[in-house]
Amino acid sequence: MRRTLVIALTAVLLGAVTSWLIPAQAQQPAPPPSWKQGQPASMADSMLAPIAQPPAPKAPGEIPIDKIKVPAGFKVELWASGINNARAMTWGDKGTLFVSSRVAGNVYAVVDKGGSREVKTIAKGLNLPNGVAFKDGTLYVAEIHRITKLAGIEDKLDTPPALEVVYETLPKDAPHGWKFLAFGPDGKLYFNIGAPCNICLPPDTHANISRIDPDGGAFEYFARGVRNSVGFDWHPVTKELYFATHGRDWLGDDVPSDRLDVAPRKGLHFGFPFCHQGDILDPEFGKGHACGEFAAPLIKTGAHVAGNGVMFYTGSMFPAEYKDRIFLAQRGSWNRSKKVGFRIMMVTLRGGDVPKYEPFAEGWAQGEQIWGRPVYTRQMKDGSLLISDDYAGAIYRVSYQK
Amino acid sequence: MRLLCALLAVLTAASSASAADAEAGRRKAEACAACHGPEGHATVPGTPSLAGQPAYFTHWQLIKYRDGRRRDERMSPFAAKLSDEDMGDLAAFYAAQTPKARGSAVDATRVAAGRPLADAYHCSSCHTPKLTGQQQVPLLAGQDLAYLLTLLRGFKARTASDLDGTMTMAAQPLTAEDVENLAHYLASLDPAVR
Repeated sequence: MRRTLVIALTAVLLGAVTSWLIPAQAQQPAPPPSWKQGQPASMADSMLAPIAQPPAPKAPGEIPIDKIKVPAGFKVELWASGINNARAMTWGDKGTLFVSSRVAGNVYAVVDKGGSREVKTIAKGLNLPNGVAFKDGTLYVAEIHRITKLAGIEDKLDTPPALEVVYETLPKDAPHGWKFLAFGPDGKLYFNIGAPCNICLPPDTHANISRIDPDGGAFEYFARGVRNSVGFDWHPVTKELYFATHGRDWLGDDVPSDRLDVAPRKGLHFGFPFCHQGDILDPEFGKGHACGEFAAPLIKTGAHVAGNGVMFYTGSMFPAEYKDRIFLAQRGSWNRSKKVGFRIMMVTLRGGDVPKYEPFAEGWAQGEQIWGRPVYTRQMKDGSLLISDDYAGAIYRVSYQK
Repeated sequence: MRLLCALLAVLTAASSASAADAEAGRRKAEACAACHGPEGHATVPGTPSLAGQPAYFTHWQLIKYRDGRRRDERMSPFAAKLSDEDMGDLAAFYAAQTPKARGSAVDATRVAAGRPLADAYHCSSCHTPKLTGQQQVPLLAGQDLAYLLTLLRGFKARTASDLDGTMTMAAQPLTAEDVENLAHYLASLDPAVR
């Protein structure tokens, strides 16, 4: 009798639970596109949407280079153009500049011919190949789902071989799936696996910076709670990893700030999706957490600025105080009523402090009109600075003369 | 100041239009007309109309056909021969044409069932409320039914190529029935209604 009652009660309970679960599943609304995900009802009428990537680079005559403002003594020139969707840059041993793209699906080789540059497409049709890194004669390429390499590529720019797989068991999610790729001072390849959403509780496999050996072995997570970092570099002296992260969208014009972080060691958690900018709990995922549980940003770099390229300046062309400063390329906002970013910022470090965070190059946005989006920087051998622009499909060179 | 801004806007529009030449595109499009119809009004079932498609959309699709991300036994060989300039000109030409409905034979029951799905699946978030497209996002209203079905099924099966994964993700919650109903609804719309 009692057992029957228990069974009956269990059945009723189970029925209640499943009838509660199953219709909830059946009625679950389809998710909006990832850029719109997390938009509160109060913003449902917002016209804000990501800026479309033009399918063609601008012609040199359409690039208003004189609009880029730099400090006194510096000069900006158009170094290369016609590079559709030009993004990350890395140098080959023999002076070739390898340039990645995102939706254009290409990897380029830019060969300096003295007064001019020749652009060759060495790989095409790839899956958002944003990451390029070079070591010992080999170019490594990171797409969303895999890392590949081209050995001896600088001797075969006109007859590039097929990509050889290094690592291919990466998540295939498209949102924040494109990768920055770089060799750390430990000789390992570092890359991001972004959160597959604007805001969500990501699977354990996402929202991190990871690393592998160049042969594809020894995969491990280096930093966690990182929403989407598509730019990092290592301090020339301390060898610590500095990285930029884009903050979540749809919390308003001025929060949360993007961040610049330091990861002095493996295993730190940087807060996503629980805590943003080091001191704001997420309205949904922050419940039950405190920001003190997570690593705080080195600095808040501004809401929606979209910090991409992070690069320590180690050259000797620029004035002495520029040494070991960080150039932070900010591709610029879309999820904000007034545009911000679209500039190169400069971060001065002193011990653990940041005494100065100031613009170095700006002018890609003229009010609400944009004509370019700076994405990454790379130093030339002579100490001048290259800036890639994926919107105009161009690379600029900034030099300094006393 | 306001006048200056207006002038600047006109100048900017003029200069970006000059980069791609719609008139040159008209000449180059003669080879496309066999399938896509004169001025991009196709009549061959399964072949999309291109009239009124946003220039970014057509241009990106041509790039993807040329680099192999999108494949079609008729389109791929065509695109392989196109230069960057050809693509810009063709895209500008088709964008300048006025779209009209294909007049596919649609099922009224499916049209009615598809209408709420377009909202439920957030189609308008990218394709605009009248589903007429913008930037890299295509015009769907009045498109060929067979083509819409092929593409939607492809996105659902993760075999159709999209630029950044957005459409493949959007198609995942669709049931086979949803795909049918949505395609009939989209095909029933008049692209002139904006």
